[in-house]
Amino acid sequence: MTDNAEIDRQIGREYEAGFITDVESATLAPGLNEDTVRFISAKKGEPEWLLEWRLKAFAAWKEMTPPNWAQVQHLDIDFQEVSYYSEPKSMEDRPQSLDEVDPELLATYEKLGIPVHEQAALAGVAVDIVFDSVSLGTTFRKTLAEAGVIFMPISEAVHEHPELVKKYMGSVVPQKDNYYAALNSAVFSDGSFVYIPKGVRCPMELSTYFRINEEKTGQFERTLIIADEGSHVSYLEGCTAPMRDENQLHAAVVELIAHDDSEIKYSTVQNWYPGDSEGKGGIYNFVTKRAVAHTNAKVSWTQVETGSAITWKYPSCILKGDNSVGEFYSVALTNNFQEADTGTKMIHLGKNTKSTIITKGISAGKSQNSYRGLVKMGPGATGARNYTQCDSLLIGDKCGAHTFPYIESKNPSAVVEHEATTSKVSDEQLFLCQQRGIDTEKAVSMIVNGFCKEVFKELPMEFAVEAGKLLEVSLEGSVG
Amino acid sequence: MLTIKDLQAKVEDKDILKGLNLDIKPGEIHAIMGPNGAGKSTLGNVLSGREGYEVTGGSAELEGKDLLDLDPEERARLGLFLAFQYPVEIPGVSNLEFLKASVDSVRAAQGKEPLDSVSFLKLARAKCKLVDLDQSFLKRGVNEGFSGGEKKRNEIMQMMLLEPKLCILDETDSGLDIDALQVVAEGVNSLRDPNRSFIIVTHYQRLLDYIVPDFVHVLANGKIVKSGGKELALELEEKGYAWLEDAAENGAS
Amino acid sequence: MTDFHKGLLAVNDENLSKESSSLAAIATLNKSGKESFLQQEIPTRKTEAWKFTSLFGFTSNEEGYGRLAASYDAAGLDALTTIPALDAQRLVFVNGQFSAELSSKESVANVVRFSEANEAQQAIIADNLGTAIEQEKHIFAALNNATTTDGVLVHVGKNENLKTNIQITHITTAQANPFTVQARILIVLETGAEATIVEHFASNSDEQNCFVNAITEAKVGPNARLNHYRLQLMQEGSIQIGGVHVDLDRDANYDSFQLGLGAKIVRNDINVNHNVGGSHCELVGVYLPQNKQLIDFHSNIEHKIANCTTKEVFRGIMADKSKAVFNGRIHIHPDAQKTLAELSNKNLLLSNDATINTKPELEIYADDVRCAHGATIAQLDEQARFYLRSRGISAAEADVMLSFGFINELLENLELDAVRNLIRPILAQRFGRDEELMQHIG
Repeated sequence: MTDNAEIDRQIGREYEAGFITDVESATLAPGLNEDTVRFISAKKGEPEWLLEWRLKAFAAWKEMTPPNWAQVQHLDIDFQEVSYYSEPKSMEDRPQSLDEVDPELLATYEKLGIPVHEQAALAGVAVDIVFDSVSLGTTFRKTLAEAGVIFMPISEAVHEHPELVKKYMGSVVPQKDNYYAALNSAVFSDGSFVYIPKGVRCPMELSTYFRINEEKTGQFERTLIIADEGSHVSYLEGCTAPMRDENQLHAAVVELIAHDDSEIKYSTVQNWYPGDSEGKGGIYNFVTKRAVAHTNAKVSWTQVETGSAITWKYPSCILKGDNSVGEFYSVALTNNFQEADTGTKMIHLGKNTKSTIITKGISAGKSQNSYRGLVKMGPGATGARNYTQCDSLLIGDKCGAHTFPYIESKNPSAVVEHEATTSKVSDEQLFLCQQRGIDTEKAVSMIVNGFCKEVFKELPMEFAVEAGKLLEVSLEGSVG
Repeated sequence: MLTIKDLQAKVEDKDILKGLNLDIKPGEIHAIMGPNGAGKSTLGNVLSGREGYEVTGGSAELEGKDLLDLDPEERARLGLFLAFQYPVEIPGVSNLEFLKASVDSVRAAQGKEPLDSVSFLKLARAKCKLVDLDQSFLKRGVNEGFSGGEKKRNEIMQMMLLEPKLCILDETDSGLDIDALQVVAEGVNSLRDPNRSFIIVTHYQRLLDYIVPDFVHVLANGKIVKSGGKELALELEEKGYAWLEDAAENGAS
Repeated sequence: MTDFHKGLLAVNDENLSKESSSLAAIATLNKSGKESFLQQEIPTRKTEAWKFTSLFGFTSNEEGYGRLAASYDAAGLDALTTIPALDAQRLVFVNGQFSAELSSKESVANVVRFSEANEAQQAIIADNLGTAIEQEKHIFAALNNATTTDGVLVHVGKNENLKTNIQITHITTAQANPFTVQARILIVLETGAEATIVEHFASNSDEQNCFVNAITEAKVGPNARLNHYRLQLMQEGSIQIGGVHVDLDRDANYDSFQLGLGAKIVRNDINVNHNVGGSHCELVGVYLPQNKQLIDFHSNIEHKIANCTTKEVFRGIMADKSKAVFNGRIHIHPDAQKTLAELSNKNLLLSNDATINTKPELEIYADDVRCAHGATIAQLDEQARFYLRSRGISAAEADVMLSFGFINELLENLELDAVRNLIRPILAQRFGRDEELMQHIG
């Protein structure tokens, strides 16, 4: 029914965000030691307390070993081969507004379809852009400031709102939390900072685009979002990287603090370069994302993961306050030699806490796709509820789909329900579509989109469209 | 027998019963009809004490005893019986053990000794026969794998075993073919007694051809909007409920 | 070699020399088992397969569990070894030692102790013993391989339907010193053979200080059928570790029922290999820890080949300060197309101090398969509860009836009525704990 040559051609389809931006960069020579940490801190003109904080993390990291429990295989990373800081040269004199940003850079974002200028206005999205190690500036700052919302690069927040950064950074993901979080804490370069004051509903979607451009560069951004009591914010994040033959490292940390009665919605479309069809190159995406939800607060993670050679990522919720709610909606698609080990942790501590986990894993080519999750009902989680549904779709017989749910309960009134299923795009389904005049390509894309619908509907509109397209591109032709 | 005054109840913050009045004397059969969503099933659930139904006002007394403060099992022991619209399946719990547990506890409340296993089995078998259920059903899990009709007959059999004072049949006729409907009706008719009353909740007039009611009430928008004799059922069958619902709304405004 | 390894092996060396088997097959097994055992590290909480089951109290026992029991008094044990109304050929071991007194007087030719095997049977043992076990993945299976001195062979020939059930019972009694039992069963069913085997563990006193490591191996031949019951009914003092390792040939059937009730720490590894194709495996299990018990079931089903099916259902109820661990792994290899596999694990917690850790795992490397698993930790069904109460049954009794029903549902399909009748009253006591509430269960 389908022809192997056609499959190969389609699988070999190029990564559309794989261009390299021709800007002169000032990149720190590869290597990691205390001086690297001091250099980054000095470069940002950081206060002493932050340098100390970084050095403490670095000391801890040196004692730690990389985790090996995930269902992924990769070469050992030589952390001395990575450059820990890169910024475009034109950033030496930091632009004061987006108008002053190197047009070449902005053109990059145009190519990526990121609404920076007018597009941003039309979409009503405030965008922060992190290019390699630095933030390029944030749009809509004024509008947001009027609402009392702080949205700025974290490197600036350190200076302008030190009391907030000091109070919250590391409060959800401690420096020593895990190997990659410790590394990030030592060398993080930039990232976004958001603070929504009490009772404020953020007037627009906030968005950050991350891009790794330079060769041999690691990206270690750090995002900190604080929703004060009764506030509401929706935050979007997108990622791309150029095609490079060697593996590049991305080790981010995201911390969300949802105070009483607040709501944070965090959406990600991750399209880091996945490597070529031979499995060469691609981003190692080792990310720690965690939220703490206080009384009546709600945190919702939605992710569409199509990129990266390796994804290691478990956006989690600590449901600390009574009646708090955690949600995790995920689509993870792997093709060629990609490996994804992703899922979530829902830690129920408060009474009547609720969590929902819906994941859709799609494996194609020779890829491996794992769901790994933890649902934990603590002794205090009286009346807590969890519902988990993990579905896998296999396309072709060379790939793998795996499910590793850890479920623990210490409270007799807590209810946990977990279900997982596996299916394939069946010949019957394809034949039916063909018989009705729909080609195989389109049919697979339709079936997969249908499979992911439950998750896509959680994404903000403009992201949902992007996600659907992304899926189509990543999948086309992978039918066996 | 049963006196309901200005009964108000809500489910998940939605008001369903909005001041319902009903007075049922011993030996009477009352049919309650009405459109979907009128609160028909809510009435049975509220009277039998189901969780999630919050009584916000009014009273309901069975032979002068306030029902609304009692646990479901206490109401059952007083002689209230609800034949469910959708009897739940309970795999692993034997139907026979369940029936015996039920009869034992109701008898205990009446100060009677529990039946020994042999006499109880005899009794249960006899009742099975009356509702045309194979005896093998006694050995299966409660309602486990029963067809819709078998579940309803199992409900009627329980009613026969427990000999309640007030029987509420919640859409017992829904989904039944004509044969099963007759079996159910015969079961009910055999239990008719000057000291026993019935509330028959139904959407269709069909069942009332077999169980002839003394009174017919129309429940719409949480209230009884019209009452009459058995001929009202025929009128409803012909004209539908829309005219009465309009009347109820106009009346309320 | 750590103290742990020494503690379990050294004293056994002494026993080995004392009671060494003349069977070459066992000597070979002991040797490879010892090598494998010594290479493996003691499981700790960092060992994935032992993440939730701590062996601390066990491995830190300074006296060690190496030695065998001294002696026993068979008086009064007869009732304990009897499964009423079970028509069975019975073999009884007390503290690991064969008891002719308590065993069936007449024997069937299909069952023999290794030490009594004739030449043909010795050949069967030599061909099969240890072949279904990946000892490098199971440290306690390696230990059993290293230290077992005797065992039971059940052999059923081609197209023979062994009508007599086989009951193999292990009784442990209180002893002055901690002691070990390394029990071993080898089941070999030839083409088209059929057998029902009931393994049964019991004890005669709460004061248990033994460590029972019971390994059962089954080689189920083409189109053969093995019905296997494994009932752990001993009291709470002992440690019971062990496993069942099954190789399924073409179109073979393996039906198993596992009951975990007894012991202080229980760990069971159930491994089933679909090796050739067309085979079917049905696993049913029940665990009911109470007090401070810990019961751990790890199942691992290897679908190595196409067209095989697995159906697995485990349920547990945790009371008091107890803990249960369930890990159900289904592994679909790249060649295992057209696999049907499903696993269901449901749990009820009865107390604020009880814990459940469950992890159903799917690892799938083939696309044309239908696999599903579900795990729940839930309360009793509210609708069912209301239904019972609306019929006059008290809330307390309804809870007991529903808890019992939750487990009883899995007992209803057991083929051996005698086993069901043995278990039901025990369960009734567990749930009822009060005569009033037990009336309508059991």
